[in-house]
Amino acid sequence: MRRNEYPQEILQSLEDYNIDIKDFMPGHGGGAKLLLNFNKIAGVDQVEGVILKGREIPNGIVADIIIKEGTKHEEPVHLCFGVNKETGVQEIFPRIIAEDNTSVKVQAHCSFPKANGLIHKMFGHFYIGKNCNFNYSETHYHGENSGALVAPVGYMYIGENSIFENNFNLTQGTPGKVKIMIDIYAMQNSIIRSNIKAYGKSKKDSIRIRDSVFLEGENARSVIKMKAVARNGGEVLMYGVTEGNAPHCNGHVECSEIVLGKGSICRARPFIRAIDPTSSISHEASLGRFPQKWLDELMAKGLTEDEATEILIEAMLKE
Amino acid sequence: MNMLLELKNLTIPTLDQKCVIVNNVSFGVKKGSIHAVIGPNGSGKSTLAYTIMGLDSYKISQGKLYFDGIDITNMSLTERAKLGITLAWQEPARIDGLSVFKYISLGIKDKSNLQEKVKEALRTVNLEPERYYNRIIDETLSGGERKRVELAAAIAMRPKLIILDEPDSGLDMIVIEDFLNIFNKIKALNMTILLITHREDIGMVADYGTLLWRGDAILTDEFPTVMVKYCAKAGLKEFCKRALFKNGGKCFDDEYIDRIFREEELL
Repeated sequence: MRRNEYPQEILQSLEDYNIDIKDFMPGHGGGAKLLLNFNKIAGVDQVEGVILKGREIPNGIVADIIIKEGTKHEEPVHLCFGVNKETGVQEIFPRIIAEDNTSVKVQAHCSFPKANGLIHKMFGHFYIGKNCNFNYSETHYHGENSGALVAPVGYMYIGENSIFENNFNLTQGTPGKVKIMIDIYAMQNSIIRSNIKAYGKSKKDSIRIRDSVFLEGENARSVIKMKAVARNGGEVLMYGVTEGNAPHCNGHVECSEIVLGKGSICRARPFIRAIDPTSSISHEASLGRFPQKWLDELMAKGLTEDEATEILIEAMLKE
Repeated sequence: MNMLLELKNLTIPTLDQKCVIVNNVSFGVKKGSIHAVIGPNGSGKSTLAYTIMGLDSYKISQGKLYFDGIDITNMSLTERAKLGITLAWQEPARIDGLSVFKYISLGIKDKSNLQEKVKEALRTVNLEPERYYNRIIDETLSGGERKRVELAAAIAMRPKLIILDEPDSGLDMIVIEDFLNIFNKIKALNMTILLITHREDIGMVADYGTLLWRGDAILTDEFPTVMVKYCAKAGLKEFCKRALFKNGGKCFDDEYIDRIFREEELL
């Protein structure tokens, strides 16, 4: 597949996230790929040890992504769910299975550059086996009109001794209405790192994210980091949930949200629970402005407070 | 030698104005010198540093502050930084996502050859540019590394005055020795240093000093003289006789020290 066979606006939005797209198209580069153009499968590349199967349904696709036992790939598996239309409904039902002893990165891009009433839904299931190292990154671009309604739901099972890293970024363009729900179940000795970043830029932007980790196995560990900025009337609500349901598990939820401009709202609702006396679960949250000391340090280099704030926002939301 | 910074009858109260932290303090900092402000914990040293820098939560209730002949008493932090004052913090912040390169480059006015300027600043503080250039100034940097990056950022600005607030805190002796060499490098770059410290070994690199004692400026003179006074106020005669060496020689004979201590006792 050649580059000019895929909507240029979608590719451009990926480049805006500093994603190198030269190896992105099927037939190029070394990684497995699944590209969607609205509800049509635009291209599939499989590599050894990675099975990608997609089936079109009336409003989207059902996809199976299977990483075969022992597969280790440096090149990421690329998933691109692009819509170059203003309206419509795109529903994705992915099932990702990483068998035991695998090591892979999956990079998913959801790009809706012209969204103006567009609905994107995802209902994903992840099954990560034992002794895996699985990195899942999802970046979104919803155009500049706050015109998307995006509602992904993910259930993730992380097997014994596995490391699972989840990175979700919604920092470019305008989000529109976003409701995200992620449930991660961590088994014995597993390690979970979940990083969420979102940027609401106008009063038409409303972001609600619930990121939950259930520490179900002995000695399972997790850190959830949620970072958000709401400005010019934007609204962000972050739920960070961690339950310690097993001996010696250890979890932490951290939430930092910056509010700028009149009418903007940031809310954080950490929910933590421990039912085992040997578990340790903690949370911290800070909302409002950046710490004065950070601003002072940058202003002592000749920056105004507004310039210092912009530098700190850029750093905070950097991928 | 001209004065770069002049404090005239400076009084700094607490934010609620109920207590005075620094009381009617006057002294000058000569251009191109290292001037140490010493005193015990709680004597107002850091308050003085933050007030000179212009931090919003430190306000002057009385007196004037002159920098390079300009009255900066009512200038903001940003305005003072643009004039050529900066501060390297005692405990610099860890900021997730901000790279060493970006942080150091913020204060560089002329952005030409930016990468080389940042690398040069890193070399000045004895950090290998290749190892640190892309690092993030978060908790992955040790306390000593973060302090060096802070110094590099201050040096890269090429300010006229660098205020160093307790640069020795949390560092081991070997690192402190290295820091003293860095201070001399800064001086060689024609920058003036206002050094806030309570340690004699750090202060001995200074040309001049001011002793702050419970908010009052007791003495401004050449640094060893100020240090003897500090020891006399603190009742540390043996320490004073043992510790005050400069350029390999003892600063004062024991008789002089005994005399200063007797005078202090009579007060």
